[in-house]
Amino acid sequence: MNQEHPAPPPPLAEVSLPVQLGRLSLPNPILVASGTFGYAREMQHLVALDRLGGILPKTVTRQPRPGNAPWRTAETAAGLLNAIGLDNDGIDAFIAHHLPYLCGLGPPVLVSIAGRNPPEFVEMAEQLDAQPGVAGLELNISCPNVTGGVDYGTSASACQQLVAAVRQRCQLPICVKLTPNVTRIADVARGACDGGADAISLINTVLGMAVDWRRRRPLLGNVVGGLSGPAIKPIALRCVYQVAQAVETPVIGIGGIATIDDVMEFLVAGATAVQIGTANYYDPTVTMRLLDALPGALREAGVSSVSELVGTLETSRG
Amino acid sequence: MMPNPLHASHYPDAALHQRVNIVENVRIAQATYRLRFACPELAARILPGQFLMLRLERNDPLIGRAFALYQTVLSETGEPWGIDVVYLVKGKFTRELVNCPPGQSLMVWGPLGNGFPADPIEHLVLVAGGIGQTPFLPLAAEFLGKRRYGQPARTVPPARRVSLCYGARTADLLAGVEDFQALGVELHLATDDGSRGHPGLVPDVLRPLLERPELPLRVVACGPEVMLQAVAKLTSTWGVSCQVSLETPMACGIGICFSCVTRVKDDRGDWDWKRTCVEGPVFDARRIAW
Repeated sequence: MNQEHPAPPPPLAEVSLPVQLGRLSLPNPILVASGTFGYAREMQHLVALDRLGGILPKTVTRQPRPGNAPWRTAETAAGLLNAIGLDNDGIDAFIAHHLPYLCGLGPPVLVSIAGRNPPEFVEMAEQLDAQPGVAGLELNISCPNVTGGVDYGTSASACQQLVAAVRQRCQLPICVKLTPNVTRIADVARGACDGGADAISLINTVLGMAVDWRRRRPLLGNVVGGLSGPAIKPIALRCVYQVAQAVETPVIGIGGIATIDDVMEFLVAGATAVQIGTANYYDPTVTMRLLDALPGALREAGVSSVSELVGTLETSRG
Repeated sequence: MMPNPLHASHYPDAALHQRVNIVENVRIAQATYRLRFACPELAARILPGQFLMLRLERNDPLIGRAFALYQTVLSETGEPWGIDVVYLVKGKFTRELVNCPPGQSLMVWGPLGNGFPADPIEHLVLVAGGIGQTPFLPLAAEFLGKRRYGQPARTVPPARRVSLCYGARTADLLAGVEDFQALGVELHLATDDGSRGHPGLVPDVLRPLLERPELPLRVVACGPEVMLQAVAKLTSTWGVSCQVSLETPMACGIGICFSCVTRVKDDRGDWDWKRTCVEGPVFDARRIAW
């Protein structure tokens, strides 16, 4: 054998990355979370956007919203508080200016919408249903930074009615993004499932605040905001586990995911896919590294597909 | 004017995200340090007034911080290989950064933001307060014909005169004055306590230049918002064009978080929150709704 050309290593076992979330098929389980990736255009040069498992652009509302007054973010220990306030130009501008670009990128585009009431959700869902290229919706019923932002995410029956209303008038697969700021998140998740959700996205931010005691002022213009980043990962994992135990509907894990170990932990705990959020801010190419590492981690786990790993957590509680 | 269909004008389309090594981290004034790191590709493409994000590879502090280009560092053959940023030790991040020795790595992404325009002007007047002088050294070098920036290098018709009006609380906080001097920048210093230069505020040393202009001039300002407002008012009174470089705190630097917003007026005079990182950080002072 030619000494300069050693034998190639044996071929690595193929691992299958596609996942299924109800009616929604994704090429892989690594998505980017709404509100943490702009409208994707910002990241075009830093990230190979076509590799992502799915793209969730910043939440759109029926009417344009200016958003909250600064400061809109404040760093905390291993976390970030935000109170952006759904700053966006409204759904008409979104459809005209951002959607054509997003739908040309390749990955499934899940449009995050936030209505002030069910008719607004339904109206936006109908508008998006009529747009070619939209893969699905994510109902943001968990934004802590706008009035009424969590009204449909804190009551199982209100959640069920909203999801059912959207489902009735829109053919697109529906994910429902829930807030952890409730006593029993599994109850709200059951409401979403009963309403016809294809997947449950867990979690939105954890309500918090930061104070400058010397100036006796809150650090956020909105006084309170939502905490994200590694600081909330244990809360997110717990929510994913509890909901995955309670419902058959697939779960998308969100909350402080920044490393391949984080991804694997969420899959084992019961998430079928994950969304990368705050890590995009402080590590803009993080999704590419996670995608590079995922096949090897799955092999290490001894599985040949993502779905084989989902919900394999073993507990003595049975 | 057609609205920009994709909302912002300066996406990070030349940005790189890299692990770089610290080469130097030296004190240049009271609580003020110059950090030098090796990053040839970034150094080759960055423009005066653009910024970069730095992050230590740890979860606390979690978020990157924005720093203006202070200067690119050239090899003996004139090739850019490194970047200098100058920082004031003030918060959680800079208190950690000051303890980072040469050889330590950090993550960097950039170049970001629009940078200063290269429009020709005969007399360029730089106005800085506090740590706000940091973006001005490369701009001065460029307008004095000493350096070129960008890939391909942009061409700036040399100014006949470049002045720096620079104020700080006290003389010990004036940082990098000798760097501007070495370029041939005309200095107008001010300190609150009178320990160096004019005893008083920066607008005091700017006013005479506006009152008795010898050449067509343009003002570019960076510093605390109260100073920027005063400079914007002064330049408006004298009908002089003024650009401001904003120091709005940022969480991502690349336009995805919508936290570094500032009130920017449109052509009709209505204002909206705009992302400083991808719409700025350099704005025409008349567009800012202070």
